[in-house]
Amino acid sequence: MSTSTNKQSLKGMLWTWAALTVIGVIIGLYAPAWIMPKSMSNNMHLTILTMVVFTVAAAPVAAGVYATALFALTRWTHKGNDVPSAGPAVRENAMVVTTWLVVSTLLTVFLLIWGLGALAVDNGSTGKNPLVVDVTGQQWVWSFSYPGTHVSSPDLYLPLNREVEFRVTALDVTHGFWIANMGVQVDANVGTITTIHTTPDKLGTFDIRCTQFCGLNHAFMVTEGHVLTAQQFTSWLASQPQRA
Amino acid sequence: MTTTLEQAKTAAIPQGGGLHRRLNMATAMIGGIVFASLFWYLAHHFLDATSRTYSDEVAGSLTIGWIVGFWLGIGAFVAPLRWLIGRDNTRADDLYLAGQGQGTSRYWKFTTDHKVVGVQYIIMTMVLLGAGGILAMAIRTELIVPGNHFVNQQVYNGFIAVHGMLMILALIVAVAGPWGNFVVPIMCGARDMAFPRLNALSLWTLVGAAGLLLTTLAVGSLTMGWVVLEPIADQAGVGMDFFAMAIIVFTVSTTVAGVNTICTILTMRTKGMTLARLPIFVWGAIIAAALGLYAFPYFSLVEAQTLMDRTFSTSFFVANAGGTGWLQANLFWLMGHPEVYVILLPAVAALFEIAAVMSRKPVFSYRSAVAGMTGLAGLSILVWAHHMFTTGWAPTLGGPFMLTTELISIPTGLFFLVLIGTLWRGNIWMKLPTIWMFGFIANFIIAGVTGIYLSDIPLDDQLHGTMFVTAHFHYVFVGSVLFGAVSALAFWYPKVTGRFLNEFMGRISFWLTFIGVQVTFLAMFASGLRGMPRRYSSYAFIFEHTNLMTTIGAYIIMAGMLVLLGAVITSWNKGEPAGPNPWHANSLEWMVPTPVPLENFEVLPVITEDPYNYGEELVRS
Repeated sequence: MSTSTNKQSLKGMLWTWAALTVIGVIIGLYAPAWIMPKSMSNNMHLTILTMVVFTVAAAPVAAGVYATALFALTRWTHKGNDVPSAGPAVRENAMVVTTWLVVSTLLTVFLLIWGLGALAVDNGSTGKNPLVVDVTGQQWVWSFSYPGTHVSSPDLYLPLNREVEFRVTALDVTHGFWIANMGVQVDANVGTITTIHTTPDKLGTFDIRCTQFCGLNHAFMVTEGHVLTAQQFTSWLASQPQRA
Repeated sequence: MTTTLEQAKTAAIPQGGGLHRRLNMATAMIGGIVFASLFWYLAHHFLDATSRTYSDEVAGSLTIGWIVGFWLGIGAFVAPLRWLIGRDNTRADDLYLAGQGQGTSRYWKFTTDHKVVGVQYIIMTMVLLGAGGILAMAIRTELIVPGNHFVNQQVYNGFIAVHGMLMILALIVAVAGPWGNFVVPIMCGARDMAFPRLNALSLWTLVGAAGLLLTTLAVGSLTMGWVVLEPIADQAGVGMDFFAMAIIVFTVSTTVAGVNTICTILTMRTKGMTLARLPIFVWGAIIAAALGLYAFPYFSLVEAQTLMDRTFSTSFFVANAGGTGWLQANLFWLMGHPEVYVILLPAVAALFEIAAVMSRKPVFSYRSAVAGMTGLAGLSILVWAHHMFTTGWAPTLGGPFMLTTELISIPTGLFFLVLIGTLWRGNIWMKLPTIWMFGFIANFIIAGVTGIYLSDIPLDDQLHGTMFVTAHFHYVFVGSVLFGAVSALAFWYPKVTGRFLNEFMGRISFWLTFIGVQVTFLAMFASGLRGMPRRYSSYAFIFEHTNLMTTIGAYIIMAGMLVLLGAVITSWNKGEPAGPNPWHANSLEWMVPTPVPLENFEVLPVITEDPYNYGEELVRS
C-alpha cells in the first residue's frame, strides 16, 4: 500500500468517524428523553441527564471502532479463495498503546467522578421535613402506610415538591420497589428496612412495578401512584379511614 | 482426502479395553435411571414421611443416585477401580480408551482422546444451545402480546429459569470446550491433555448435569430465575432440588476440566514453546480456566446451602428463620461475575487468533492482549456487588464497587485495540470466520457501552431489574460470545472434519443472526428504558410494540441458527475438502495432518519463534 492511498483512506476514515460521532451524539441527546418515562422527580432528571452524558461521551469511542471496522471492510479486505499476501508485520506500537490506555483511563475517571457526584446527589436527603412512607411488599401487592396517621392504602399518594423517605420492607420474599418515573429503586427484603429518598416535582399518575422476581404473579404486581398538591394530599389523608 | 471418520474406520480396533468394550452412553443412562430408582426407593422407605422436607429429601437422594449411576454406567471409574485391585491399564487398554479404530461409536463412549472430547463438546454445546433456544422461542412466543395465552405463569417461570441456566452452561463450554480440548493440546505441542481420563470425566459429568437440568421442567415448579433467588427459591417445588444438584454436578465438571487445561498448558508444552511464543488462544484458555477454578466453588457452595435449607431445615437464606437472601446474592455473584469472563475470554482470545491469521499479520501488541485478559480476570473478582446496587445491601460500598466496575473499561478497551490493531492495514481474507468476527466487533461495542450505564449507580437505580439489563447481557452473550464461538467453529471446523463449513449457508446464517440480534435486543433495550421489568410473563400495553419487535427478531435469530445447524451437519461429510492447513496459518494445529492422528505428532516439534511470522518484511509503523 503506497503512502498516498494510505493517507487518503485515513482521511476518509476520519470523516466516517466524525459522521458516526455526530449520529451518536444526536441519539444520545434525544433518545433517552424520548424513550424513557416522563420525569416526575429530581432523581429522574439526574437519571436522564446521566444517560445523555454517558451516551455522548461514548459516541466518539464507539464511532472510532465502527469507522475503523467499516474501513477495514471496504479497503483492506481480500476476497476469493487464494491466500492473501502477508500484511505489514507490526507487532507493537508503544505510542498507540500508551495513547489508548491514557484516553480510556481518562474516560473512566470522568465516568467515575460523574458517577460519584451523581450518587451523592441521588442518595442524599435534604433533611427538610421529609414525608415518611412505610412500603410493604408481599406476594403480589404493595401497601403504603403513613406513620403518625394510622392511614394505610393500597395506592401510593405523594405531595408535590416535598421530599419523601420510603422505608421499604417485605413480608414473604424479596420484592423490588421501583418508580420508573422517579428513577428510584430498592429491594424490599424480609425482616430488613431499606430506605430511599426522592422529591416528586410533577403532578400526575405513575406506576410502581416490582423489579425483583417474586413468583407466580410477579408480572401483575403493579400499583398506581399519584402526585397531588400539598392541599389535595392533606385532604386525601384526612378522608382515609383510620386504622388502629 | 479421508475424513476423521473414515480414518477411524480403517484403523484396527485394539485388543483390550476390558469392561469399557460394553459401556457407552446408553449404559450410562440405564445406570443413572437404575441408581436413581434405587436411591428413590431407599429414601422413600427409610426417611421420615411426616417431615416437612420429606419430598425434597427424596428428590435430593434421587439426583445423587442419578449421577452415581451415570458415572458407573459410562465407566468413569473403571480404570481407577482396576488399579485398586492391582491391575493397571495396558497399552492396548489405553489405545482402546482413546477410541482407536472405533468409528463414530467412540463419540458415545468414555473416550480419552482430546480430539474426540472436543467433538463431543461441539455436540454438547449444540444440544444445550438447542434446548435453551427452544425455551427462548417459547418465552418470546408467550410475550408476543400482553396476557398469558401460550403457557401459564407457572410454566413460564420454569422456562426463564431453565433457559437461563442451559444457555449459561452452553456458553461456558461453547469455545473452551470444543477448542480448549481439540486445538489447545496440539497448539502446545502435546500428544494429549495432561489427564486424558479426567478430560473424558469432565465431558460426561457435564452430560449427567445436563440430563438433570433438562428434567427439572417436568419435575416441579421453578420460581427462582436462573440465579436461584432467595428466599423465593425456598418456595419452589422439587424441581429446585434437581436444579441445584445439576449445578453442583456441573461445577465438578468445570473444576476437573479447568485443572486439566491449566496442567496441560503449564507442563505439556513442547521444547521451545515458551510462554511468549504461545498462540494467544492458549493464553485465553488458561486464564479462563484459572478464573473458573476461582469462581465455580462459590456456585456449588451456594447451591449446596440452598439444598441444605430445603432438606435439612437449615436457614442460611430463609429470612423468617434468621437467614438472609443477601448472603445468597453475595455468594452467587462472587461466582456470577467472574463466570461472565470465563465465558467471554476464550471467545475473545479465539478472535485474536483468527484476526491474526485472516489479516496475515501478527497479533498487534501481544503483551496488551495478555495484560488485558489477565487484568479483566483479576478485576472480575472484585466487582460482584454491582449486581446488588439496588438490593439495599451495604450502600456505603456502592462507590468502591462502582470504581472497580468502571475500571473494567480499560482491559476491555485493550481488546478492541488488539483486534483493530491486528486488522489495521492487513490483507483481510473475507471468509466465514472473518465475517462473524466483524459481527462480534459491532455487537461488543453495544454490549460495552450499555455496560457503562449499568455500572453507574444512579442510572442502575433506574435500569436494574429491567429488560435493559436483559438486553445488555444478551448483547454480551448472543451478540458477542455466540458470534465469537461461531467464528471459532468456522475457523477450526476444517481441522476437525477435513472440510470447510459451507460458506454460502454460513453467510446466510450470519446475516439472519446479525439482523435478528439487532432487532431483538435493540427493541428489548427500548422495553427496559420505557419501564418494563425482567422476568415478566405479561406486560402493560405501552410495551407491546417493542415486545412484538423482540419476538420477531428472536424468530429471525432462530432461522439463522437453524441454517447454521444445517451447514454444520451437511458440511461434516459433504463439505468442500480443505486440506491440512486451509488458512495457511503457522500454529502447530495446522502443521499436523487432517484428520489429526491419535497422539497428534510422530515426532514432537521444536519451536523457534511464535506463529505470527507471515514472511513480510518489517515496516516502520
